[in-house]
Amino acid sequence: MTSRVELFGWLTLAFPLAGMMLVGLLHRRLPGRTPGYLATGAMALSFASAIGALISLQALGHEERQVRAVGWDYAKTVGIDAQISLLIDPLSVFMILVVAGVSTLIHLYSVAYLDSDRGFARFFAYLNFFVFSMLLLVLAGNFLLLIIGWAFVGAASYMLISFWYRRTTATGAGIKAFVINVVGDVGLVLGTYFIFRHVGTLDFLKTFEGAKEAFDPGSTDLTAGCILLLVGAFAKSAQVPLHTWLPDAMEGPTPVSALIHAATMVTAGVYLIARMHPLFELAPTAADVGAVVGCLTLLIAGTIAIAVTDLKRVIAYSTMSQIGYMVMAVSAGAYAAGLFHLMTHAFFKALLFMAAGSVIAAMAGNQNLDEMGGFRRAMPFTYGCMVIGGLALAGIPPFSGFFSKDEILLLIGDRGGWYWILYVAGYVGAFLTGIYTFRMIFRAFWGEPVPEARELEAGHLHHAEVHTNPANGEVEDTDVGFPGPEHHIAEREPAMKIAMGTLALLAIVGGLLQIPKVTHVIDHFLEPTFAESALYERHPSDGLITFGLLLGTLVGLAGIAIAYVVWVKKPDLAGSVRERLSGVHRVLVNKWYFDELINLLVVRPAQWFGAFAQQTFERLFVNGVLVGGATGLVRVGSSAVRAAQSGFLRYYAAMLVVGMVALTSYFLLLA
Amino acid sequence: MTLHLSFALWIPLLFGVLCLFAPPRIAPKLALAGTLLVLGYAISYVVDFDSASGGLQSVTDESWISELGIHYKLGLDGLNLFLILLTAILWFACTLWATFWMRATEAGAPPAEERTHAIEKPRLFLFHLLFAETAVLGALMAQDLALFVVFFDLMLVPFFFLTGIWGQARRVQATMKLVIYTLVGSLLMLTAAVATGVLAADGDNELSFAFADLAERTLGASTQNWLFLGFAAAFLVKMPAFPFHGWVPDAYRSMPLPVLALFSAVLSKVAAYGFLRVCLPLFPDASEHFQTLMLLIALASILYASALAFTTTNARLILAYSSIAQLGFILLGIFALNGQGVQGALLQAFNHGLVVVPAFFIVGLLAARSDGSEDIRDMGGIATRAPVLATLFLIVTFATLAMPGSSNFVGEFLILLGVFEEKMAIALIASTGVVLAAVYALRLYIRTMHNRTGPRVEPQEMTRRDGLVLVPLVLAIIAISLYPQFALERSERTTTGIAAPAQQDAAALSEASGP
Amino acid sequence: MITAAAKVAGPHIDWAGLSPLIAVLGGALIVLMLGLMRSRAVREQLVPALSIAGLVIAIACSVSQWGERENLLAGALRLDELTLALTIIFCVAGIAAIVLSWRHVAPREAAHGEYHALLLTSIAGMIVLVAAQNLVSVFLGLELLSIPLYVLCATEMRRPSSLESGLKYLVVGSVGSATVLYGLAFLYGATGDTDFADIARAIGEGGLASDPLLLTGIALTIVGFGFKASVAPFHQWTPDVYEGAPTPITAFMAVATKAAAFGVILRLFDVALIDLAVDWGPPLAALAAFTIVVGNVGALGQSSLKRLLAYSSVAQAGYMLAGVVVASRLGIQATVFYLAVYLVMNLAAFAVIVARERETPLGDDIASLHGLGANRPLLAWPMTIAMLALAGFPATAGFIGKFYLIDAAVDGSYAWLGVVIVIGSMISLAYYLKVVAAIWMVPAAAGGSEVAVASGGPAPEPVLAGGSDEAAALRGQGEVVGVAVLFAVLTVALGVVPSPLFRVVRDVGASFGLF
Repeated sequence: MTSRVELFGWLTLAFPLAGMMLVGLLHRRLPGRTPGYLATGAMALSFASAIGALISLQALGHEERQVRAVGWDYAKTVGIDAQISLLIDPLSVFMILVVAGVSTLIHLYSVAYLDSDRGFARFFAYLNFFVFSMLLLVLAGNFLLLIIGWAFVGAASYMLISFWYRRTTATGAGIKAFVINVVGDVGLVLGTYFIFRHVGTLDFLKTFEGAKEAFDPGSTDLTAGCILLLVGAFAKSAQVPLHTWLPDAMEGPTPVSALIHAATMVTAGVYLIARMHPLFELAPTAADVGAVVGCLTLLIAGTIAIAVTDLKRVIAYSTMSQIGYMVMAVSAGAYAAGLFHLMTHAFFKALLFMAAGSVIAAMAGNQNLDEMGGFRRAMPFTYGCMVIGGLALAGIPPFSGFFSKDEILLLIGDRGGWYWILYVAGYVGAFLTGIYTFRMIFRAFWGEPVPEARELEAGHLHHAEVHTNPANGEVEDTDVGFPGPEHHIAEREPAMKIAMGTLALLAIVGGLLQIPKVTHVIDHFLEPTFAESALYERHPSDGLITFGLLLGTLVGLAGIAIAYVVWVKKPDLAGSVRERLSGVHRVLVNKWYFDELINLLVVRPAQWFGAFAQQTFERLFVNGVLVGGATGLVRVGSSAVRAAQSGFLRYYAAMLVVGMVALTSYFLLLA
Repeated sequence: MTLHLSFALWIPLLFGVLCLFAPPRIAPKLALAGTLLVLGYAISYVVDFDSASGGLQSVTDESWISELGIHYKLGLDGLNLFLILLTAILWFACTLWATFWMRATEAGAPPAEERTHAIEKPRLFLFHLLFAETAVLGALMAQDLALFVVFFDLMLVPFFFLTGIWGQARRVQATMKLVIYTLVGSLLMLTAAVATGVLAADGDNELSFAFADLAERTLGASTQNWLFLGFAAAFLVKMPAFPFHGWVPDAYRSMPLPVLALFSAVLSKVAAYGFLRVCLPLFPDASEHFQTLMLLIALASILYASALAFTTTNARLILAYSSIAQLGFILLGIFALNGQGVQGALLQAFNHGLVVVPAFFIVGLLAARSDGSEDIRDMGGIATRAPVLATLFLIVTFATLAMPGSSNFVGEFLILLGVFEEKMAIALIASTGVVLAAVYALRLYIRTMHNRTGPRVEPQEMTRRDGLVLVPLVLAIIAISLYPQFALERSERTTTGIAAPAQQDAAALSEASGP
Repeated sequence: MITAAAKVAGPHIDWAGLSPLIAVLGGALIVLMLGLMRSRAVREQLVPALSIAGLVIAIACSVSQWGERENLLAGALRLDELTLALTIIFCVAGIAAIVLSWRHVAPREAAHGEYHALLLTSIAGMIVLVAAQNLVSVFLGLELLSIPLYVLCATEMRRPSSLESGLKYLVVGSVGSATVLYGLAFLYGATGDTDFADIARAIGEGGLASDPLLLTGIALTIVGFGFKASVAPFHQWTPDVYEGAPTPITAFMAVATKAAAFGVILRLFDVALIDLAVDWGPPLAALAAFTIVVGNVGALGQSSLKRLLAYSSVAQAGYMLAGVVVASRLGIQATVFYLAVYLVMNLAAFAVIVARERETPLGDDIASLHGLGANRPLLAWPMTIAMLALAGFPATAGFIGKFYLIDAAVDGSYAWLGVVIVIGSMISLAYYLKVVAAIWMVPAAAGGSEVAVASGGPAPEPVLAGGSDEAAALRGQGEVVGVAVLFAVLTVALGVVPSPLFRVVRDVGASFGLF
């Protein structure tokens, strides 16, 4: 029985990998959209095997629902026990279901969306590789393999962010994302060291067993280790202060933003903390750090999202803030809630991005909210999806986001103590969410239709004569043919329709899996993983529950109402508000100056040091003092000798005499 | 079996001499045959290597200069096995590569390549190239200190000629600087080596330089210290480590690429190997005594070289400095003085060699496509026209920056773990080197492959012929990345054995210092 | 009176033991006579042939005498392996000199008879000097050695610099001889004996250890012989004389004179004055160090190859002095070993210089070597090997020689001197490699070497085994090229298989019964 679980685990990994290789190697031979369908098929199979894993796992007894599948020895030497081994338990199965499922839909969407892009095949090879890495990450059975998946995901995201690598903005964003992710990897590695040092194994299950004996509660090493693990989590999940790469990552094609930078990769941090919960529960300080940072992130991101005018970046910041919720949740012990939100968020955020992609396509690649408007009639389907996603995001019942977010705040509130602060902050965040989500929707779909919208109503998809990079306005070099010359909107592409429709459905009903006091599907399913946990399955008081449900709904609606007033009722109000709060607005537009800060503290010093080494130190010390000094000394000597070599006998004789006298006198002194 | 090592050792030189006299058309084929033969031998060693035994295997032991107690003693163990394999692989690859440019001088080859690099007097070139392989193999196989020193210094001679005759730019000055700079170290090593033998014998038992004998005859702490420094000088300069890298920029700029690739891939490793073969076993107290110093040097090398790497715009120099940084990591691992560190260092030595040669090869291709310029400001944007090249380069780049999943990562993981357990602070600081590596490696990739096409760039896919060199190397990288255990399990016994003595007196010292 | 006269009994004379000396002197007389003959053939062919014959006989006799140890001529001379070994060295040097000067202007101008007679006489003087174990015979040998050389230096009468060098050598040389004489007189005055053994005994018995007379004597003898061996600061005649003298003579002096001087130094210090080693050790060590530095540093800026080699010979004298300083059998062996090695290395180098002097108008300027590697492998390789050997690269005799000297130094607890030796070698790299670079890495300047110009394009003709110009040159001066190649081969051979030479020097060391 376990063997079947293992088999399905491996298969889930194998299909995307095979897909990548096929597409990558055959990309010359495959005609038209076949690479896309090939990749999508691979994903579908992978999803199927994930379901297979689910079924065969549920068939097992409650206790043995943690299956280790060992491939081969990777680095088994001098005390290290690194193997290629998977850990298949409810948590990882939950993750692979979400990842594989959403990915399949996004693959489908991309088949249409990137149809005319010259890099079509390459795109799907990358996409499959990404999913493979992500699945590896969540299935990894030991730290080393986790780190590998972790880094592969980072690499895949780099490749996809700078997919349109003729854009300097894209390559810049790519390297930024990659480097910050490497920082995360390093954090992960060092964290692993701290833990390995005491438990002496890299395997997860052994570590969790050993941890209780190895560490006395609140041991500094464990805290340090867990905080370093958090660094990794923050880097991946774009939590402050390591979040600055995520907005830039919007340089990638929209499906990438939907898949990687909303649905899957950025939630890796959440998964990590959940996976490491036995350690975090032994190191409460570290856990609190996670909770606080998550909370900060959700507020900061929320505020920024209100100010930015780039459609995709608005969604990106909202992603940050939503992940802030999840990080806060899993750090505070609301594991199921956090993961629940992870799932629902994957649905509606992917949906939002897809809808945004459709709008951007209608705008011929332009992402600026200021230039959008009135697409409501032009693209009803997209609009519908956008609204559904928006409501889910804003947490309006009965949409999925409502229940998941609500449960998080509920459990945090239930922790009591200073967690109340987080609780309150959470609702503030929810309020902001309502505002920025519907600001986006109103500005894009309501109001006076812009020319592009009119053109579309007239039945013609706008097409720019000169393609320019929306980020910096430089003209694309079209000879390479990407980004594709023409665009595709959901209204005209069945593939996109199917994908978005499915997600919309899930975004609506997804929440029903886990309704307080009614259904506890996820709780029960995940229970085996968190069996040991003290914080799992707490039951808050009914009062808190009802209060929470009401408050959540009101806050969400309030946010939407404000957005309606400011951006629909009195369009000029926005301007005056901006006038009044110009200081605040500047801070928000400049994203709280995080980029500048990092620049000042890290990048500049590094560059300065490099320049100093290059221009000054090399010349003066390495070549000057070390080399020049030695050779100079020798040169002086040689010139001296040659000076003595005058060619006149008298000098030679004199020298001879001098030497003789010196030698003799030495001997005489000796006597 | 015993004969085998001598065969592999002398075959290159033999074929090199043959090349001198062979007719021009045959010579390259001869050279390839020779290196291929050695590769065959090397593989056979790895295959029938018994990883269970810690001792030497397939030993050759003749007395060479009995009056000086110098033995012609060769042997295999976990330390040199994979470095020998590496040498064999890379020499074959680079000889193949060099022969391309020779054909380029004779007839039909991409004009860009013709313009960029062509090798005059091919047969003399091949002679020196193969001579160099013998020297390197000798240094790796030698199980006698004096013999090691002989080959270690001998390595330099062919490279002196290869750089001086076939180099570019200010090649003569560069090669002078290179040889003098590195020999300064080597000569100090010579004295130290002689002294080691003499003092170890100290009158009563007769003079012998065989490592086995020397290891038994332990020296006094103070003696060990100055001898250690003598050897360290040689190895640190050769690696090179900060601040002894003064010769690097000129030498790297002027060496012909295949030679350069070998130089930075293999010769630096021989230096690192020297620490493992000579310093740790023979001077355990000294190794312990200088541990912190060496770790700091390694740390400085990593950070300083990385800083240089992401500021320079010369593609060669980026790789050059990255090698210095990588060797910093290797040094770090060696002087963790524990199993993990040494294992990691050894694995990393193999990995880095395997990675840096394709990197240099690609730089050669890029230069040929950007009108001979090796400045990354003149490159860029060829990925669209050369997807295969771009993909291979991407893999190489990821390996260079030790991305998890590459064997390089396993190496660095072990190294840092080793240091972490000895000196945590140093490990923490060193880990920033990993981030810096990401910066300069990716910078190189993006500036050459991505962004807009440079004005002087003529994008071209690499030819099948180039694939002959590049693809097998990349496949090798992938293979070892999938199963590093293959190397680790074979070296484990020896490395742990080597780390042991130093660790013991580390323990002893800590007890002494403790209550 | 008659009775007294009757009492006078000539000492027993062992003709066999004297045979080498006799052969040489006899040869000298014969060629002197033959030189008076009219026929050109006799003068230009027979005379050299006969002188060579004489030397060959001398070598043969020495070989046949090997293993004999006895006093000759009532203890005036000592026949032992040291004498014989050095005799062989002198004769080989002599033969080489004769071969090199076969078609040289010097003998023609100075009349062949005299030229060769003087050469042989000088050799005879050397034999006497190194065999001498009596102050008187020492001085006798010294003068017999020196005076012919003064003349030989000036034999290119039409060239002012030759005359100048002769004169300088005469004047300064006389000062040197005077000093030696003075020193010997003091020794005699202090000990009352002229026989080495007796002097040693006298020192051993009487508390002469701190006798100013004796010590002054030692000082003066050091100066005198240091002068002959061109030890700094008494070396300054060397560059001028070497540069001025006819190159074959320079070669002969560089090798033979030095050998002779060291021969007598060894005998005097390690036999007669051995008990005072503590006194003369340190100052001699200081001199050695000073010499090494001065010699190497002085050679740096030189563009004249002969001057360069002159300074290098100074430096080498310093190295060999280290072997004397340690006053041990190992030291003696190392010194003698190095003398032999030094012979082969230098003769190869000088042969090439002779060849180029005849081929190019540039004389012995380093520029005369430009493009040699491309066009004249048969000269390029010997010069290269000689230079690398002098620099002490492995796989050449020079390496083993240095190794042995350092071995001796460390063993005699003069480790610091070993370090000085390698520091000297480091500096020396700068100029030895400059020569190698000139050979291989600088193209022949237009008209620099007409041979090179004649040959035209570099590529097609074989790298070894001579192209057309090579062949021409072989016809022109085959014997010179032959000498160069022969000694180059020897240099490498002794570097790879040094054991025979080791066996010889072991016997030499054994002949000193006193350790």
